[in-house]
Amino acid sequence: MIAPCAAWDTAMKTERVELHPAYILHHHPYRNSSRLLEVFSRDYGRFGMIARGVSSKRSRLQGRLQPFRPLLLSWHSRGELATMRTAEPDGAPPVLSGAALMSGFYLNELLLRLTGRHVPYPRLFRNYHRTLNRLGERRAGQDALRLFECHLLQELGYGMTLDHEVEHGRPIQPEAHYCYHIERGPVELATGEPANGVQLAGSSLLALASGQFPDQQSRKDALRLMRTVLAFYLGSKPLRSRELFRSLKGVNRGTTL
Amino acid sequence: MAVTPLLSRLVDGLRCLPGVGPKSAQRMAYHLLERDRESARRLAAILALAADKIGHCKSCRTLSETDICPLCASGSRDRTQLCVVEMPADVEAIEQSGSYRGLYFVLMGHLSPLDGVGPEDIGLDQLKERCRAEEVREVILATNPTVEGEATAHYISEQVKDHGIRVTRIAHGVPLGGELEYVDGDTLSHAFSGRREW
Repeated sequence: MIAPCAAWDTAMKTERVELHPAYILHHHPYRNSSRLLEVFSRDYGRFGMIARGVSSKRSRLQGRLQPFRPLLLSWHSRGELATMRTAEPDGAPPVLSGAALMSGFYLNELLLRLTGRHVPYPRLFRNYHRTLNRLGERRAGQDALRLFECHLLQELGYGMTLDHEVEHGRPIQPEAHYCYHIERGPVELATGEPANGVQLAGSSLLALASGQFPDQQSRKDALRLMRTVLAFYLGSKPLRSRELFRSLKGVNRGTTL
Repeated sequence: MAVTPLLSRLVDGLRCLPGVGPKSAQRMAYHLLERDRESARRLAAILALAADKIGHCKSCRTLSETDICPLCASGSRDRTQLCVVEMPADVEAIEQSGSYRGLYFVLMGHLSPLDGVGPEDIGLDQLKERCRAEEVREVILATNPTVEGEATAHYISEQVKDHGIRVTRIAHGVPLGGELEYVDGDTLSHAFSGRREW
C-alpha cells in the first residue's frame, strides 16, 4: 500500500526552480491579464507555464515575455502546469526581423510539433540558442536552419546517416550519386535503376554532415532532403509557419524553410 | 436568500465580461436590480441594439454601424496617409493623441504563424486593394511591438512596397516622463538604434 502513495506524493510534490535558462516558444492571453506560455527550458524540456498578471498595464514583464528572448525563469510547479514567479533577461536578444523572424517561428513550430513535453533536451536547447543568434546575425540563415533540423532529428532519436552508405558501409563519395531512404540512409545509385527516395549527390550529403555548404546545389539538395525527412515525422498536418513564409513573395531571397 | 433561476442566469450572463468573476457578477446583478432598474433597462436595450447594428466599416474594418465609418467618410482627413493598427482601441488611442490626420486600416488581430492566423484572416487583400485603388502615398505600420506585430508589419511592408508606396514604422523608445533607469533593456536598445540628429 505504500508504493502508490509514495508515487502520488512524488508526482504532486511542488517543485521550485530558480532562474533557469529558458525560451518562450508560444504564448496565449489567458483571462484578464495573464498569459499561458509554452516554455522550452534547458534542463526541464518543454512545458506549459502560467504567468499571472503580466499583461496588466503596470507589469514590467510584459515586454520581456516574448519569444526568441533568452530568459532566466523562476517557477514552481505542482502537476502539469507550472506557475511563473519571476523572469529576468539572460543576455541580449537576437535581432530578428524579416525573413529571420519568420525562420524563428519555423524553429518554434518544429520544437512544438516534434519534442515531447517534460523531456529534457539540453544539447538541443543550446543548439536552438546558437541558431537564433546566427539568424540574428543574418549570416547563412538557411544553412543554420538545415543544421538545426539535422540536430533536432538526432536529439529525437531519428538521427540521419550522412557519412556512409548503408548497404556496404562504404564512406560517401562526393562525386557519386545516392538515394536517401527515410529511416535507413543513403544507398548508392546505380545508373538507370528506379529509386523511391530522395536522390542527391554525395557532395551534398557530405555538406550537410559537415555543415559547410560549398555551393547552391548542395543547399538545394539539403533542403529537399530535410523537407522530405521532416515531412515523414511531422505527418500530414502542414507547418503553418512554412505556409505563411511561402505566401510572402519577395522575401524569398536567400532563405527557404 | 435562494437564488432564483432568472437571477442566476443574469449572473452567468454578466460573467461573459472580461475580468468579471462570479462574485463581481453577483454584485452587478444585485446593484442593477435593487438600486438602478432604469439603467438596467437602458443597458439591455442598448446592448441588444448594438449587437444587431454594429458591424465593420467596409473601408477600414473598424467597428461601425454605418457601411463607412465617420472617420473614413470625413472630408477633412489626409487621404494620402494610411495607418495600419491591430485593434479598434488602437485607433482610439492614436485619435486621442491628436497627432495624426490620415486614415486607418484595422487588422482586427495580427499574423500568428503558429496559430494558423494567416494574411486572409486579417484582411490583407483588402488592404492591398485600398493601396492600389486609392491615393495612398504612405503606409504607417503601427502594429504592436511584439514578435507577432513585427512579423505582421514585415509581411505588410513586403506586400505594399511593390505598389511604389512609402512604408514607415512607428518608432519604439523611452516613454515621456520616464526614467532611463527603469526602462527595460530591449526598449533602451531600440531607442539607441533609432536615435536621431539633434
